[in-house]
Amino acid sequence: MKEAGNILRILRKTKQFVKEDNAHELKGLSNQTIHSATISQDADNIVVAVLVYSLGKVLERDHYRDMDGWAEFYNSLIKNLGLAVKSLEKVAQNGHDSAEPNLKNARIYLGRIRNSLNKIEGNLGQYIKDVFMKAGINKAFKLYEHGLSTEKTAELLGVSLWDMASYIGQSHIGDSKAAITMPAAARVKIAEEIFG
Amino acid sequence: MKYLIFDAGPIISLAMSGMLPIIEKLKGVFDGEFILTPHVKREVVDRPMKIKKFKLEAMQVQDMIERGIFKMSSSVVSDEKLEAETKKLLKITNGVLRTTQTGEKIEIIHGGEAACLAFSKLCGASNVIVIDERTTRMLTEAPKSLEKMMEKKLHTPLDAQLSLLDELKDFRFIRSAELLFVAHKKGLISMKDGKELLDALLYGVKFKGCAISSKEIEDMKKLV
Repeated sequence: MKEAGNILRILRKTKQFVKEDNAHELKGLSNQTIHSATISQDADNIVVAVLVYSLGKVLERDHYRDMDGWAEFYNSLIKNLGLAVKSLEKVAQNGHDSAEPNLKNARIYLGRIRNSLNKIEGNLGQYIKDVFMKAGINKAFKLYEHGLSTEKTAELLGVSLWDMASYIGQSHIGDSKAAITMPAAARVKIAEEIFG
Repeated sequence: MKYLIFDAGPIISLAMSGMLPIIEKLKGVFDGEFILTPHVKREVVDRPMKIKKFKLEAMQVQDMIERGIFKMSSSVVSDEKLEAETKKLLKITNGVLRTTQTGEKIEIIHGGEAACLAFSKLCGASNVIVIDERTTRMLTEAPKSLEKMMEKKLHTPLDAQLSLLDELKDFRFIRSAELLFVAHKKGLISMKDGKELLDALLYGVKFKGCAISSKEIEDMKKLV
């Protein structure tokens, strides 16, 4: 965890916005993590970016709250967010001495949020898993948008290039002027020359 | 001998557009080999083979390898040599951009893309890399634009050591879009012809991940 302090700040805010039921702020918070994730490419930073974005999406869907398993998921979320924050606070307070076990604990608590979905019976667990999966692709796309290559982003997010392809295709990323590095005719000429 | 070196992206774009058979037709009129590196094979065959959603496409690509439409890079350059050159290129490319504030390096490209560049350097023959994603192209063809774009997106100044890229200036790139253009021009696509077909082909791969702008597509349509 290269940026424990920053992740602590993000998780505190996440807990606050979840309690306030503020999906909009959660998504904004997720965008903040992407800038630093592009540079640091720190796995924990990326996990948090996906988590926060997913929670924003989940909270937007009001009907999830009426489904079986919602209370179980929500309680696990609040509990584990709180425990992850406490672990990272210990890192901040004690410094290097107890950093590693507390960082490890923070990762375990964040992992438990997703794992709690496996215990939910009915459709809600699968719906939220889908949200997490799509959030991973979304964040991979965001890293690509920020300038990393497709394969680099797919590796960082653990998503397939195949899933990313359609996502990229539906965006306007190919239309940015910066991406036009050669006139169309010149590139066609390269293709025609190699084919003889 | 000539080589067309495929990154994963174009195979994915063409497979998802139902255009894989065009690769086979293009191979028929190409006086050389279509190359896949082990990194690319992992992305277009080994990994999607385990994902039910993409397994059919992975099997089709596997079949094309077995029938010799695609040749593995090891038939020309040993995997050891390719790996060593790939690592060297990754060190160069991923050392170009640093944040001004912290001096932290930004790792921009991955082994898959770097292996295509490495094969291009090592194969000792005329070659072109087929790559749909923009970052690798920008890094070698317009690195200053990549630096500016990333600075804008990251809201932070970057230091670029562009001189590191001097030895990467000679790569030649095309995309799945140019492959379809050539196939169309050579009459390899057996559908009702005309500009509508070319329009459909080019936008088809654009919406499946090929980094091509609408302006480039319109410019290409004028070249027929």
